[in-house]
Amino acid sequence: MSNARPPTRPVRAPSVVKRVASVWVRHWRVYSDTFVANATPAVLEPVFFLLAVGLGVGRFVDTEFAGLDFASFMAPGVLAMTCVYTASFEATYGTWVRLRFQQTYEAMRATPLTVRDIFAGELLWCATKGALFGTIVGLVLLAFGKIVSPYALLIPVFGFVTAMAFGGLALTVTSLVKNMNHFQFYFTIGLTPLVFFSGLMFPVNTLPDALQGLAYALPMFHVIESFRLIISGTNHVTVSWAWACPIVLVVLASFFGWLGVHRMSGRMLK
Amino acid sequence: MTVIDLKNVTRKFGDLTAVRSVSLSMEKGICYALLGPNGAGKTTLSKMIGGVLPRHEGEMRVLGMDPWKMQSEVKAHLGVVMQSDALDDELNVLENLRIYGLFFWLKGRAFRERVAELLEFVSLTGREKMPTQALSGGMKRRLLIARALLSDPEILLLDEPTTGLDPQVRQVIWTTLRKLMEKGMTILLTTHYMEEASQLADRVGILDQGQLITEGSPTELIHRTLPSCVLEFDERESPGDAAVPDGSLVEHHGDRVYVFDDDETALRNWLGEHGISAPHLRQTSLEDVFLKLTGRGLHE
Ligand SMILES: Nc1ncnc2c1ncn2[C@@H]1O[C@H](COP(=O)(O)OP(=O)(O)OP(=O)(O)O)[C@@H](O)[C@H]1O
Ligand SMILES: [Mg+2]
Repeated sequence: MSNARPPTRPVRAPSVVKRVASVWVRHWRVYSDTFVANATPAVLEPVFFLLAVGLGVGRFVDTEFAGLDFASFMAPGVLAMTCVYTASFEATYGTWVRLRFQQTYEAMRATPLTVRDIFAGELLWCATKGALFGTIVGLVLLAFGKIVSPYALLIPVFGFVTAMAFGGLALTVTSLVKNMNHFQFYFTIGLTPLVFFSGLMFPVNTLPDALQGLAYALPMFHVIESFRLIISGTNHVTVSWAWACPIVLVVLASFFGWLGVHRMSGRMLK
Repeated sequence: MTVIDLKNVTRKFGDLTAVRSVSLSMEKGICYALLGPNGAGKTTLSKMIGGVLPRHEGEMRVLGMDPWKMQSEVKAHLGVVMQSDALDDELNVLENLRIYGLFFWLKGRAFRERVAELLEFVSLTGREKMPTQALSGGMKRRLLIARALLSDPEILLLDEPTTGLDPQVRQVIWTTLRKLMEKGMTILLTTHYMEEASQLADRVGILDQGQLITEGSPTELIHRTLPSCVLEFDERESPGDAAVPDGSLVEHHGDRVYVFDDDETALRNWLGEHGISAPHLRQTSLEDVFLKLTGRGLHE
C-alpha cells in the first residue's frame, strides 16, 4: 500500500460534542416550528386527566393514598407518564419516519457524523423533549396546587433522565422492528401495563408481596417514585427507600441510553 | 498525487458479495467514472470510499486516511451526492443547506455568504424559502450538488447525479461539474449514462458483479476492447453471423446486431452487398464497450 499522502492537512472534522450537538440542533430547528401544535396535546392530556380524576373518580374514592387525596397522589405519575410517552413516541415513530420515509439519517451519514453521533443526538433530543414536556406539565400541576415540595425545581432534570432511559429503551425497540406496526405491541403490551402496575394509581406497597417485588423490578416504579419524591415530598412516598429511586433512574438512563444508541448504530451498518 | 487508493477491497451483504476484491487508485484532479449494471456494487463501493460503510477485506486510503477508521475526518473533506434525493423534507431549501453545514460545524457570516454563493452557482437563488418537496427533480439535484459543495471538499463522490433528469438539466449539471473540474476538483462519478462518462471522465472503470473488470481512459477502453467502427442494424435484417466480412466481430444485444471492424470502407461495402435497411454506421462508443464487457441480458 503506497502511503498515498501524509495527513498534513489541519484536522477539519468537528469534535464529537459538536457533531452530537448538530443533530440535536437539527431536531430542535424542525421541531420549534411546530412547537405549539405539538406541545398542546401534551399539556391538555394531564389537564383532562387531573380534572377527570379530581372532579370525577376522585369524589368516589375517599381513601387516602400515602397521605394524599387521589388526584394529588396521581399527579407525579401523570407527569412521569408524559416524560415516558414523549420519549417513547419520539424514539419509535419519530425515529422510524426519519429512517424510512425522510432519509434524514442517510444525508447525515455523508457528513462527519458517525452513526453513533446521529443516535446519541437522537437520544439527547428525546431527553430534551422529555424535560421540556415534563416542565410544562409541572407548571400545570403547580397551577392545580399539586406541587408542595421545593425540590420540584428538579423536574426538568428528572424529566431529562427519565426520557433518556425510555428514549434509549425505545431506540432499542426500533432497532429490532421490521415494520412500523410493531410499535403498537411495544406500547400496548410493553408500556401501558408498566404504567399501571408501577404505582401510578395506587401505592405499590398495597399489592400482594409477589406482585410488589415485580413492581419494584420495573423501571416505571422508580420513575414515578422519583417524581413523587420531588413533587409531593418525602412524607408521601410509598416506600422508605424512595431516595434510591433517582439513583436507579440514572443507572437505567445510562444503560438504556447506551444500549439504544449501540443497537441503532448496529442496525444502520448491517 | 494519489487521493484515493484501494487494494483488494471486498464487501458482503450476508451471502452476497457486493464488491469483490476491487483495487483502484485516483489521482488528484481527475474525474473517474464508475460504470456498471444495476446491482454491480457501484453505490456500495462509493459508500465505502465515503466512510459510510465498513469493508470486510482489503486496504483503503482516502486522502491518506482509512475512510472507515477515520470516517469523520475523511468525510469532512468529501462532498457527497447520494443516489437517493436525501434532502431534509422538514426543512426548506435554505435551511437544508444551513443545517447540513452545521454537521460540518460550519456557521457564521462567511458560511452564510458561501451558502448564497452556492445557491447562485446552481441557479437556485430566490428559492430559499421553498419546501424541498416543491422542487422539481432537476432543482433537487442541483440543491444536492450545492449541498455537497458546502464544506469546500477536496473530492466529490457523485452517485448517479443526473439519473432521471431531462437533457437540458443534464447539460446544466455537466457544465457545473466541468467548472468544478477546471478548478481542480477530484470527482468520482457513478453513472449509467455512457455519454456522461465520455463527456466528463478522464478515466473509466467498469464494475460487474462486484468486480472491476476493466479500467482506462474512454478512448483507451474503446481501442483495447473493440474495433473502431460499428455497423448496427435490426436482427430481422441479418444475413447471419457467418456472412460478415472477414475479421469482423459480431455482437447481439436485444434485437440488434452489431458488426465491428476497424475498416469503415469494408463495412460500407458489405452493407451495399447485403441491402440491409435502416443500418447505422458509426464510431465505436463506450456503450459498445460496456455491452461487450458486461454481456447480454439482465444481471439481476
Ligand atoms: N444494505 C444492503 N443490504 C443487502 N444487500 C444490499 C444492500 N445494499 C446493497 N445490496 C446489494 O448489493 C449489491 C450491490 O448494490 P449497489 O447498490 O452497490 O449496486 P449499484 O451498482 O449501485 O446498483 P444501481 O446501479 O442499481 O444503483 C446489490 O445486489 C444489492 O442488492
Ligand atoms: Mg447505485
